[in-house]
Amino acid sequence: MNDKKTTHFGFQQVPVEEKAERVAEVFHSVAAKYDVMNDLMSAGVHRLWKRFTIEASGVRVGHKVLDIAGGTGDLSYQFAKLVGANGQVVLADINASMLGVGRDRLTDRGIAGNINFAQCDAQFLPFPDNTFDCITIAFGLRNVTDKDLALRSMQRVLKPGGRLLVLEFSKPQSEILSKIYDTYSFKVLPFMGKLVTNDAESYRYLAESIRMHPDQQTLKEMMDNAGFVRTEFHNMTGGIVALHKGIKP
Amino acid sequence: MGNTLTIAALASAEKMINAALRYDPATRIGLARLEGKIIALHITTPGIHLFAMPMDDELRLMGNWDGDVDTRISGSLLALAQLGQKEVHNLKDTGVTVVGDLSLLADMQRLVKNLDIDWEEMLSQFTGDIIGHQTAQLIRAKFGWAKERAKSARRLTSEFLTEELKTLPGKPELEDFYRQVDDLRLAVDRATARVEQLIAERKPTMRIEF
Repeated sequence: MNDKKTTHFGFQQVPVEEKAERVAEVFHSVAAKYDVMNDLMSAGVHRLWKRFTIEASGVRVGHKVLDIAGGTGDLSYQFAKLVGANGQVVLADINASMLGVGRDRLTDRGIAGNINFAQCDAQFLPFPDNTFDCITIAFGLRNVTDKDLALRSMQRVLKPGGRLLVLEFSKPQSEILSKIYDTYSFKVLPFMGKLVTNDAESYRYLAESIRMHPDQQTLKEMMDNAGFVRTEFHNMTGGIVALHKGIKP
Repeated sequence: MGNTLTIAALASAEKMINAALRYDPATRIGLARLEGKIIALHITTPGIHLFAMPMDDELRLMGNWDGDVDTRISGSLLALAQLGQKEVHNLKDTGVTVVGDLSLLADMQRLVKNLDIDWEEMLSQFTGDIIGHQTAQLIRAKFGWAKERAKSARRLTSEFLTEELKTLPGKPELEDFYRQVDDLRLAVDRATARVEQLIAERKPTMRIEF
């Protein structure tokens, strides 16, 4: 009998300790063209989803913000401008390639002084308790091996009254949209991935991982269980993406 | 879906405003001084809620803001537009209500009033200096002509109503009428004072002797 614990990697089951490595391979492969692909795949709408996240963050001058799975730094750029010279933004990503791209991009755009970079795992955040006013994780939670552990870790490093924002693909609210979205994800996405990054497999994984991610209500309950209060979610673009919000009591 | 569309519309509006502001350095400096302040704008007709936040030397427009607000302004589109144009010291009867930091409203009002976008410089970016300048001259000349026509149309309408139709009194007539009213008021005041003096003179003076 095989007692080895497994978890999903897209539609496959892989040993728990392997998932992080497999996810890392995907992001190493797409890092250089991640932004181009995001714009192509979402027709630029991902910028609007991120814009809504900024609006929901309530971040002001002097705040401390942690942008987990911050990747190429879209959110960190906005946060660094919002918190000003007296605030602090930490762009964190488990993947060195993504973090490298993000750091170069932010430096090129003149963001310095109030931003730090950390390569770390969302499940074991290397920060003291009650550190941040706001934590965001955009399109990252579905790649985390143990999501409950990651949510508890985020709850720990948030200040009481601080808020967590989880921006993630979710379940479309209409059947028709769901069908169109399925066709697009499994047929068009890998094809575009092949064209732009010469890597159809990574984009197939992205589409599969979206389907395996908990739906709106389940994620809300997971946040409740991790100790967040006043949890709620906002569907965007018909539920293709949802923004979950929770406050640390 | 509606939310995404609203965000898209505001993002486009923001882009346009900031592109125009690039050609008005004074306003940009003014905006930078207000960095981080949040203004909630509620346009009652049509019903629109939006939030404005100066960030760096640009203006950020948002459909949602889930945080503290410094100033809340509410009023119809017309009332708010008028507020942006006039120097108002008292909001009574303007149709606009303000809650929160009033000085922020005054600062924003000053910025809107002093907005001076260098259209010529903006044009030159696309057409080069010579064509840009010539086009700007042409626009200024046409704009000046239109302004002049609007002014003379106003004058002609007023003349038609006062001289031809005789439905309204002319300005000199009106001023003469006001002067007569003033004279009458002064004459009545003098007469009242005189009557009071006469009454006082006719009253016997009371003397108290010990």
